[in-house]
Amino acid sequence: MALISIDRERGLLTAEFQGLDKLWTFKSRLEIPLTHVRGATHDPGIAREPKGIRVGGTYFPGVITAGRFRRDGERLFWDVKNPDKAVVIELADAERYDRLVIEVDDPRATVALIEQTIARG
Amino acid sequence: MGRPRAFDTDQAVSTAAALFATHGYEGTSVDDLVTATGIHRGSLYKVFGSKRGLHLTALRNHLDHEIHPASAAIATLTDPRQALNAAIASYDNGPAAGLLLLAAAERAPHDPEVAALVAEGITALEDALRPSHGDAAPQLASTVLGTRLRLRAQPTAPKEH
Repeated sequence: MALISIDRERGLLTAEFQGLDKLWTFKSRLEIPLTHVRGATHDPGIAREPKGIRVGGTYFPGVITAGRFRRDGERLFWDVKNPDKAVVIELADAERYDRLVIEVDDPRATVALIEQTIARG
Repeated sequence: MGRPRAFDTDQAVSTAAALFATHGYEGTSVDDLVTATGIHRGSLYKVFGSKRGLHLTALRNHLDHEIHPASAAIATLTDPRQALNAAIASYDNGPAAGLLLLAAAERAPHDPEVAALVAEGITALEDALRPSHGDAAPQLASTVLGTRLRLRAQPTAPKEH
């Protein structure tokens, strides 16, 4: 589970990993410039997709997918235990990851927050 | 770097538009979009950024390829009855005919970009009815959209697969 917040003054989206997720992902937080955020989507079905190759992190199929993965040349960051709460955040080419797949407490609110921020430009 | 795109973007957008027009934005999942368009999930995100990005593209496409040409055709009619019938008919045809209406009801209140596209579509219809109806064009445009809404409100038999 991650806590996603937006800092408009600094122009940053922050994903803060909670509890043991810091261990699974090897990260306590990710900071992404808002200009590099292309969109957010609630997408429970993505958890059924092949994950690709694990580059770093933790993968117990059906239990937890966390850390860095590569699939079809794309760099993906995962932190999902409950697929129902998975949110996909697509990033610009300049970012280290092409896509973040992150579990959040309230996917609808998180997607709305990111979409509203992007729509305002 | 993702792998190169190997799909017809226009075809994918058109398929997505039909899904959004039938099931609404919330009622269309990424699974539905991936299954219907045949596009890999990664490519869908790479090209459109999000489900919202694909919906905005579908709506833009609907305006450019359906609403604006239909409006241009309606604007050539000066007979009020003919113009109204043409407007109702054009808003009742095509796979994405309900897209504007659904976007107006479901997404426009939450998304300024959708609201702007919806406003553009409704204004186009109003302008198209002006040659035949003058100052009453906005009310007639509302009648056309209301008629479309009434048609949607009728239950349809489920399709057999």
